[in-house]
Amino acid sequence: MLFRGKILHQPENQMSTLLEKHIVELLQERNEKAISLLYEHYGDTLYGVAHKVVRNEELAQDVLQESFVKIWKKSDSYDSSKAKLFTWLFRITRNTAIDKLRSVNTKADKEIQIDVSDVYSLGVNSTRPEFMDVKENLGKIESKYQIVLEALFFQGMTQQEASDELNIPLGTIKSRLKIGLRELKKIYGPSMAIALLLNFLS
Amino acid sequence: MKEKIRIFLDTDLLEKYLLGTASLEETSQVERYIAMYPEVRKTYNELQESLESFAKLHAIKTPEGLKERILERIKSQNVGRRKFMRYAIAASIVAFMFASASYFFWNQNQTLAEENEMVTNEIQLMKNDMKQQLEDLRKQYIVLNNPQTKKYNVKGNSKAKELKAVAYVNPVKKLSYINVAKLPNLPEDQCYQMWAEVNGEMVNLGVIREATNDQKLLALPYAENAIGYITIEPMGGNETPTVENIVANITY
Repeated sequence: MLFRGKILHQPENQMSTLLEKHIVELLQERNEKAISLLYEHYGDTLYGVAHKVVRNEELAQDVLQESFVKIWKKSDSYDSSKAKLFTWLFRITRNTAIDKLRSVNTKADKEIQIDVSDVYSLGVNSTRPEFMDVKENLGKIESKYQIVLEALFFQGMTQQEASDELNIPLGTIKSRLKIGLRELKKIYGPSMAIALLLNFLS
Repeated sequence: MKEKIRIFLDTDLLEKYLLGTASLEETSQVERYIAMYPEVRKTYNELQESLESFAKLHAIKTPEGLKERILERIKSQNVGRRKFMRYAIAASIVAFMFASASYFFWNQNQTLAEENEMVTNEIQLMKNDMKQQLEDLRKQYIVLNNPQTKKYNVKGNSKAKELKAVAYVNPVKKLSYINVAKLPNLPEDQCYQMWAEVNGEMVNLGVIREATNDQKLLALPYAENAIGYITIEPMGGNETPTVENIVANITY
């Protein structure tokens, strides 16, 4: 099983780097096809990122749209030597989502209204079939590790901030993050040497 | 060195950089560490992988039609950009034409102003000239029409027998004129020059020009018992009269 995974993973990884290069080239040529390819390969993930931050379907769609416009506009500022393509896309989407959330919150504060759509849409989302797959995958990581990973990757907290926010000692945060990342590798990168991970966290 | 890297990795700076929330200063520090230490670089790359993996875990299928909406918006952005470029080019051309026209008109205006000044100056000069001439004429008129004016006929001596001139002298107005009617021809390198001896001093009255012969009265400085002379001098006139070349004298 592990052997199979290893073999399958390797070419896929190479293909994604090739695809990355191709998309970057198209972006630099300002070819609109780049956006189409980006959407096909990263759209769902970036939509998920946006949703994770704004927690509302409609807003997440707005965020994704605005993010893609920004990606298109800033395409000449992407430097492949400084970040992977996904890292760059993630930064733009996350920042757009945070800005959106801030502007909505300011508006909501001004209107002094209780918006129940967040709660409602979350309820609807969780019953949708496309969320089942996500839930299944996420289920492989224990929630206490997920929380730490989320604080780090989506909320952009430092480990100290996560410790304060979640009321968990810093040492625990560190060890949970270590395990969380390891669990993550188990799902998506079985070929990755765990020794490297441990090295990174030690 | 190991310790330095460990401390750096403990600071969360790399994570902040990963998410794009690091300040400018922090960003340059992180980029320096990534470039310098393979260990930091490796950690950063692994974090990027983990981020992508973790984000993929949260992937949600995008709703129908969103892709088309996004592509549509990007297309319209490009059209807008192209339109803007077209307007920008058009505006540049118009601006350039305006600038050229402005320069052209400014230049023209400058030339016209110069010409205007020149014309004004010329008019002023002409006005002064005319005033001068009018004054001259007035004096001549006074002299010629005054009953007290005495008229002297002047004739040339043996050197210029054909020379004829008329001198008018008015002792009351203290004005005198001479009208040289006829001058004998001279070789090309010589000319006639008019002099007046006033109170014992010889005054140069200038070269007598052929063309002015009939018409113009030449003013003579007035003095009691003055003597006018006409001499033959080298072309262009002389500073002092050549006495042996006196062709006529007028006592008035």
